[in-house]
Amino acid sequence: MLFPVDSALRTDARAVSADDTYDAVVVGSGISGAIIANELSRAGKRVLILEAGTGVDRTLAGYESYLSTFYGAASKDNQSPYPDNPNASMPRSPELRKLQPAETDSSSYMVQSGPYVTDTVFTRVFGGTTMHWEAKTPRMLPEDFNPRSRFGQGVDWPLSYDDLEADYQAAEREIGVSADVEDQTYLDQKFPEGYVFPMKGLPLSYLDKMVGKGIDDTKIELYGEQYPIKVRPYPQGRNGIPNPDYDGGKGYKPVGAVNTHEVEEGGRCQGNTNCVPLCPVQAKYHSGKTLAKALLNVQNPEKGTSPGKIDVLVQAVASKVVVDSDSGRVSALEVKVYKDPKSSEHETITVKGKIFVLASNAIETPRLMLASGLRSSSGLMGRNLMDHAYLLSWALMPEVCGTMRGTSCTGGIIDLRAGSFRSRQAAFSVDIHNDGWGWATGAPFTDLTELVDGHNRFGADLRRGLIDRVSRQLLLAFMIEVMPSESNRVTVDPQYTDQLGNMRPVVSFTVPEYSMRGAAYAREFAKTVFARLGAEDHTRYDPSDYGYVTYEGQGYAIRGGNHLAGTHIMGKDKSSSVVNTDQRSWDHENLYLVGGGSMPSIGTSNVTLTLAALCYRSARAMLKQLH
Amino acid sequence: MITEQNLVTDENRLERFLAFSAEVTAFTVFELQGTGQAEAYLKTIGDVVGAALLDEILTVHGKQMSTTGDEGRPARNAYLRREIFGSEKLGPIARNIVKLWYSGVWYELPTAWTENYGPAPKDVTFVVSPASYVEGLLWTAIGAHPAGAKAPGYGSWAAAPRIPRFAGDPAHLPAAADEEPARLPA
Repeated sequence: MLFPVDSALRTDARAVSADDTYDAVVVGSGISGAIIANELSRAGKRVLILEAGTGVDRTLAGYESYLSTFYGAASKDNQSPYPDNPNASMPRSPELRKLQPAETDSSSYMVQSGPYVTDTVFTRVFGGTTMHWEAKTPRMLPEDFNPRSRFGQGVDWPLSYDDLEADYQAAEREIGVSADVEDQTYLDQKFPEGYVFPMKGLPLSYLDKMVGKGIDDTKIELYGEQYPIKVRPYPQGRNGIPNPDYDGGKGYKPVGAVNTHEVEEGGRCQGNTNCVPLCPVQAKYHSGKTLAKALLNVQNPEKGTSPGKIDVLVQAVASKVVVDSDSGRVSALEVKVYKDPKSSEHETITVKGKIFVLASNAIETPRLMLASGLRSSSGLMGRNLMDHAYLLSWALMPEVCGTMRGTSCTGGIIDLRAGSFRSRQAAFSVDIHNDGWGWATGAPFTDLTELVDGHNRFGADLRRGLIDRVSRQLLLAFMIEVMPSESNRVTVDPQYTDQLGNMRPVVSFTVPEYSMRGAAYAREFAKTVFARLGAEDHTRYDPSDYGYVTYEGQGYAIRGGNHLAGTHIMGKDKSSSVVNTDQRSWDHENLYLVGGGSMPSIGTSNVTLTLAALCYRSARAMLKQLH
Repeated sequence: MITEQNLVTDENRLERFLAFSAEVTAFTVFELQGTGQAEAYLKTIGDVVGAALLDEILTVHGKQMSTTGDEGRPARNAYLRREIFGSEKLGPIARNIVKLWYSGVWYELPTAWTENYGPAPKDVTFVVSPASYVEGLLWTAIGAHPAGAKAPGYGSWAAAPRIPRFAGDPAHLPAAADEEPARLPA
């Protein structure tokens, strides 16, 4: 399947602006926008997708230019493949620094007004953050949907696990999830009788197995209760071996690279250990796969269907949502279309449609709404910002474990995703990182410089030193749940604008105490695991670290998870939420705010699968509204 | 004493650079040539600190070429430490050569070096080229592959790593270590 570059390139700004026949205007080409565009088009609706980024990766040369940029980058941070684009900037972790009390740092795109400095990122390119994501795809647990009634924490969802189950299946099909049901059936996680994932689970890494040997079937004690722990594989949004039993025995056809022939790339994960920031072979799902499918379907419709045309306008930054003051309906979007990322020169156009879908992400969507003066009658626009808080612990295993091989992460410990302890402290899921200490220390490059410059090693001593130092690395990343808090928020401020004059997001965030109690316990949990493995603990949190947080006299470096959520929270009524269960704005009946921002809580689940599932639900509501 | 024979010339500089590099990386000249990066690294060193300094290293190194083989290694290493790695002027360059081969990255030299022997306006941390990152030796050394390149194939990560053997390994790997991966403990 090849991305039909021509059909996506054909749109020009003026033609788009003059066109008043769009059923839906979608802002953002990430997974939410792609799924919705595909669903609407399949039902015959005309869709316009606006993408702020350049869209170079629609071609193979463009995609590979990202890879080349990554190879050549001295700082291999998680946005390093994606060139600076001052017209559609994105946060980058190397630009961060610790804040003094009450200080605001506006030196990088996302203004940090503290007190916690988050290194969370999202990616503003064609394909959105699915270009960068790691593609771990766990479902939320049934108990994650009602944390208020069960644990007295956060807020309950207006939906249950059962309400979302079928849409979870749709999302797993679209992403192409590799997992085995028997591995994922835990902690009341339910799957329908006979369900299998599209592809078989990816094997655990040798490192995972070495950790498993040390801890499997041991127990940990927490508030007087015992919890058995073991290493389990994660479900993954990347191609594995198709399961012939999928779809009642029809099997599953994986989608490989969409801008080169699949025989060359993308058929199956090759173990590039580079899911973040970019899969070199497109074995990992990115939303370009969904868009390619949608656009090809327009060119060559399936028998008996007449899909609606999809236009994709790139380098088009939505800058204002225009609302009709009488009806409250959105009448148009103002869009700044630029020619060159380096130049602020642009043309402002307005685009019209029957419905409007903001699908950028949980920072950019509320940013656009707030920049348009639309705070929501609940006053909650931009509030309840959530992201998983990550705590890292790292150690050296007693023997060589072959670190730096595999997908970024194949396995982990998920036994404390659920339990009665959640009334007191946050749950977490633990990732075993196949890429060693990289996230925490910059390994293996920092190991090299330390051995050469500090330990005065060269020749055979250096070579042996690297084996001992790198191949034994174990990094446990604790993904800790964060509950919604109205004071954690995205705002805008006219004094902070980007090159196009659009207001930039301003983030204020405090890691809630509930999560910090989970973090403090996570550190103890790591020590217990390391003791069972006989691993040398090398964990150290530097007080000058930008993410340094003190809790009960101990300091921890907390990292962001890029799992942004909560800024246009979903609920049962207009006064306590921004959108309804279809992600439709309570205030503007033809406006949908979709994505992680609608999620009232995130449990210990990476958000993409759940937000993708929600988009199927929303697409049905949109079609109903359009009919 | 620098003999006529020991002179570094335009004709022999690459060969001499490879000989020195092999000694300080514990990869063979054959393996180093296989990366395709030797010329690019020579050029990088020349561009950043000037060829004369490199020639000085190669000349000092050349003086010790007489002790060869595994038995000569301790003496050669001691010599390299005293005369090259322990030299205020040559040490930082030699360490950068090691790091270049292992990572493809030229690392900015220490301030003390620049103050005494600089200025070197091109001396910033940079990746020599996208290919030099991919050809970094550190990945080979640990039986892995550079993140994002030279993928070993689906499921390969489930097996123990194959750490290549090398001459002079202080851990004295058993002879068949490159064929037989380390086994899971029973």
